[in-house]
Amino acid sequence: MEEGGDPHAELDRIMKTTQPSAIVIGAGFTGCALAYDLAQRGFAVTVVERGELASGTSGRTHGLLHSGARYCVTDAEAAIECIQENMILRRIAKQCIEYNGGYFVALDDADLGYAPAFFQGAQNCGIPVEEIDVQRALAAEPALNPKILAAYQVPDAAFDPLRLAMAFAASARQHGAKFNTFHDVVGFLRDGIGNICGVSAVNRHAGQPVDFRADITINATGAWAGKVAEMAGISVPVRPTPGVMVAYEKRVTQRVINRLCEPDDGDILLPQRRMAVIGTTSFEVEEADYIPVYPDQVKQMHQRAALLVPELENIKMRGAYMSARPLIGGLMSGRSLSRTFKCYDHQTDEEVNGLVTVTGGKATTCRVMAEKTADLVCQKLGWQRACETAQHPLADYHLYYS
Amino acid sequence: MPNQPEANNWPRWFDPRSRSLGTFGFILNRVTALGLTLYLLMHLIALGQLARGADAYDGFIALVKNPLFKLGELLVIAAGVIHGLNGIRIALNSFGIGVRCQKGTFIALMLIALFIIAFFTFKMFSEG
Amino acid sequence: MTEQLWQVHFKVHRQRTGGKPYVRTFTLDVDPEEYILDAVERIWALHDRTLTYRHACHHSTCGACGMRVNGREKLTCITTISSVTQNGGTVRIDPLRNFPVVSDLVVDMGNFFLRMDRSGFNSVAPLAAACLPYEQPLTAENSIDHEPERLVDCIECGLCISVCPAANTDKEYVGPAVLASLHLMYVQNPTQEFIDQADHHTGLWRCHSAYECTEVCPSGVDPAWRIMDMRKKVMSDRIKSIFRPRSSEKKNAQPA
Ligand SMILES: Cc1cc2nc3c(=O)[nH]c(=O)nc-3n(C[C@H](O)[C@H](O)[C@H](O)COP(=O)(O)OP(=O)(O)OC[C@H]3O[C@@H](n4cnc5c(N)ncnc54)[C@H](O)[C@@H]3O)c2cc1C
Ligand code: SF4
Ligand code: FES
Repeated sequence: MEEGGDPHAELDRIMKTTQPSAIVIGAGFTGCALAYDLAQRGFAVTVVERGELASGTSGRTHGLLHSGARYCVTDAEAAIECIQENMILRRIAKQCIEYNGGYFVALDDADLGYAPAFFQGAQNCGIPVEEIDVQRALAAEPALNPKILAAYQVPDAAFDPLRLAMAFAASARQHGAKFNTFHDVVGFLRDGIGNICGVSAVNRHAGQPVDFRADITINATGAWAGKVAEMAGISVPVRPTPGVMVAYEKRVTQRVINRLCEPDDGDILLPQRRMAVIGTTSFEVEEADYIPVYPDQVKQMHQRAALLVPELENIKMRGAYMSARPLIGGLMSGRSLSRTFKCYDHQTDEEVNGLVTVTGGKATTCRVMAEKTADLVCQKLGWQRACETAQHPLADYHLYYS
Repeated sequence: MPNQPEANNWPRWFDPRSRSLGTFGFILNRVTALGLTLYLLMHLIALGQLARGADAYDGFIALVKNPLFKLGELLVIAAGVIHGLNGIRIALNSFGIGVRCQKGTFIALMLIALFIIAFFTFKMFSEG
Repeated sequence: MTEQLWQVHFKVHRQRTGGKPYVRTFTLDVDPEEYILDAVERIWALHDRTLTYRHACHHSTCGACGMRVNGREKLTCITTISSVTQNGGTVRIDPLRNFPVVSDLVVDMGNFFLRMDRSGFNSVAPLAAACLPYEQPLTAENSIDHEPERLVDCIECGLCISVCPAANTDKEYVGPAVLASLHLMYVQNPTQEFIDQADHHTGLWRCHSAYECTEVCPSGVDPAWRIMDMRKKVMSDRIKSIFRPRSSEKKNAQPA
C-alpha cells in the first residue's frame, strides 16, 4: 500500500485490474460448475479435490435430470429452478444426457387423488406436463405395471454423473482452471491479519504437503462442508443424509418412471445405459466417508421397483450404492441465496474473511448454484464480469484430460 | 514403469498370466509361428548341404535319422497343423465370420489338431 | 445378505508417485455380497487414509473403478467379494495393466481418453444404434413421439486395454475400446474418416485376435466383434476403392 493514499481505494484499484484468483475445494458438480463459472469470468481458478473428480456424492447420484415435477406440489421454488436448469443443461450438456422424458404414473386411488394438485402445480411452475392416455402410455412403455390408473408426461432425463462433472471441468480447464485431484485439504492458510488466503493440502499421489494461495477460497464440499469449515473454526451445520440406489441388469423402460405421489422412498425408476436404477431413501448419519449399503433398504427398493415395473421382481441386481446429501440443519444465521441451496459468506457471518461455503442443491441445479455463488464472489472482490455459462455448450468431457 | 507396454518387449507375448483362452490361442500361434520359421531356416541349411557335395549330405542324413530328430519332425507337423487350423479361424474372423463363436471354434479346431497329431505320432513311431 | 460376515485378506498394491511398489495387507470382516469397491473404500475410510483409487458412480456407468482383482480386470463396483474369494480367503488388488500408474490403484487415463475423443466417440446415441448390431434393438412401439436415445455401452473403463496382449507390447496400439468406438461411429455415420482412422497398423491391424477384450468388457460392448466387423468394412472399402476414381487419394491417417 502506498503511503498517503487511501489504502482501501488502492486495494480496490488493484483488485479491479489484476486477475483475481480463487480456490475451489471439492470437485463434485458444484465445485466443477463453480470452477467453470469463475474461470469463464476471468478468475485464475485452482480446484483442490481429495479424490477423483465426482468421487463424493456427485458420482453416486441417481442421475435424474429433474423436470421439477417431483417437487411442484411440495416446493415450487425448487421445481421452477429445476425446470429452468433442465432446459439449460439439455442444451449445454447434451453429450451426457439421455433425453427421453418421464412419466408420472398413479398406482392407486391415493395417487389419483394427488393428480389434480400435481397437474396444477406443474403448470404453475412452468413445467410442460401432459396427461397421457393409459393405453398409450402402456404402448410406449410395455414394461410398466398394467394396473396404472393415470399417466402424465414431463421432460425428465437421465445423465451420466462422472461425464457431467467432467464436462464442466473440461470447460473450466479450457478457461485456464487447474485441477488438483487427489489433494486432501487439511487446513487453511491465514495472512498477517487473520484472513484466509489459501489452503494447505496433501498431494496424496506423492504423499507430500502443498500449499495453494488465492484471493478467495470457496468450500464446495457438499456433505463434507461442515468438516471442512471446522478447519477454519467455523460451524456450518450440515448433516450427511444418505440414500440408497439399486441398479438392475435390464433397461426396462426408455423413460424415467416416477410414482405420482408426494416425494417418497423408492419413487423414481431411471433408465441408464442397459440398466434400470431405482431410488431412493433418506436417513441421517454422522460420517459420510463410508456408508454401508443396508440390505433392508435394498429390499425395500426392490419392492418399490416391482410396483412400477413388475418384471423387475425377477431381474438380477447389478449394483447397490449409497450417497449422502448435504442436509442443512436448523435455522441458519447464514445468508441464503436461494432456499434450495445455501451459500455462506463467512465474512458477514463469522467475520472470517476470504472464505465462502456453498452446499445443498441438486445435480440438476449445479450450474445456477455456481452462478449465484460466483456472483457473490465477484461482488466481494469487486470484479465485474457477467456469467455466460448458460449460453455455450460445455466442452467435450474427454478434454478434461487435454 | 513396469506395468507399461514397451516397444520390442516381445517376451511379453508369452506372458499368459491372468488371461483367458483367447490369449492361449494367441500365444500358441506365436510359438508355432516361431517354430515353423526356425524349421524353415534349418530346411534351407539342409538344402544348402546338397550343394556342398555328397559327403556332407550323407552326414547330414545320418544326423536326421536320429530319433530325437524324428521328435523334432513331429513337432513341425504339430506346429503346422495347429498354426494352420488356428489360422483358418483367425482369417475367417477377420472377414467378420464366426466371431461370436470363436471360442467354440478354437476348441473344436484344437481337438482336430490333437487328433491329427496323434495320428502322425502313431504312424511315425510305429513304422520305426 | 448379512447371513454371516467373512474374514477376507485384501492384498493391495501400494505405490507413491515414482516410488517403489509394495503390497500391503488389510484384513476385514465383510459381507460376502459387498462389492470389492466398497471394501476398498472402507480400507481408505477406516484403515489407511493414504490409499488412492478411482471411483465415482458405484453402479457401472462411469468406468472409473477398473482394477485387477486376483490378477483379472474387473469393474470393482459390481464385483461381489463372494465372486472372487471365500471365507478366510485372500483378494489381490492391483492397478490396471498397460496404463501408467500414478499412485496405488490410480492409473492415468489421459492418453486413452484423448484417443477416444479423436475417434469421435459420442456418449449418447439413438437407441437402435446404441445396441449391438446383432442384437434385437429395443425400439418399435417404444418410440411414440420421438426416437429414444441412450448412453452407449462403452463406459471407457479401459479394462479391455489392460487385458489386451497386443496392447501389452505396443503402446502405439490404440486398443479395443477406440476401435470399437470407430466402429460404433461408422455404423451411425458411414464416412471415410472413420475407415481411414481404423485402417492403420496401430489400429485394426494390430489386433491379434486374442478376444480378451470381449471376455473382460463389463458393459456388453463386444469390442472384438466390432473390430472384426470393422475389418470387414475396411476390406470392402478397399475393394470398392479399386473401382473408384483416383482423385480421392487416401491419406493414411494415424488413428486416434
Ligand atoms: C441418494 C441421492 C440421490 C440423488 N439424486 C439426484 C438426482 O437424481 N438428480 C439430481 O439432480 N440430484 C440428485 N442428488 C443430489 C446431488 O447428487 C447432489 O446435490 C450433488 O451431487 C452435490 O454435489 P456437490 O458437488 O455439492 O457435493 P459432492 O459431490 O459431495 O462434492 C464434494 C467433494 O468434496 C470433496 N472433499 C471433501 N472433503 C474434502 C477435503 N478435505 N479436501 C478436498 N476435497 C474434499 C469430496 O471428495 C467430494 O468430491 C442426489 C443426492 C443423493 C444423496
Ligand atoms: S470396450 Fe468395454 S472394456 Fe473397453 S473401455 Fe469400453 S466398456 Fe471398458
Ligand atoms: S465406480 Fe463407476 S463404473 Fe465402477
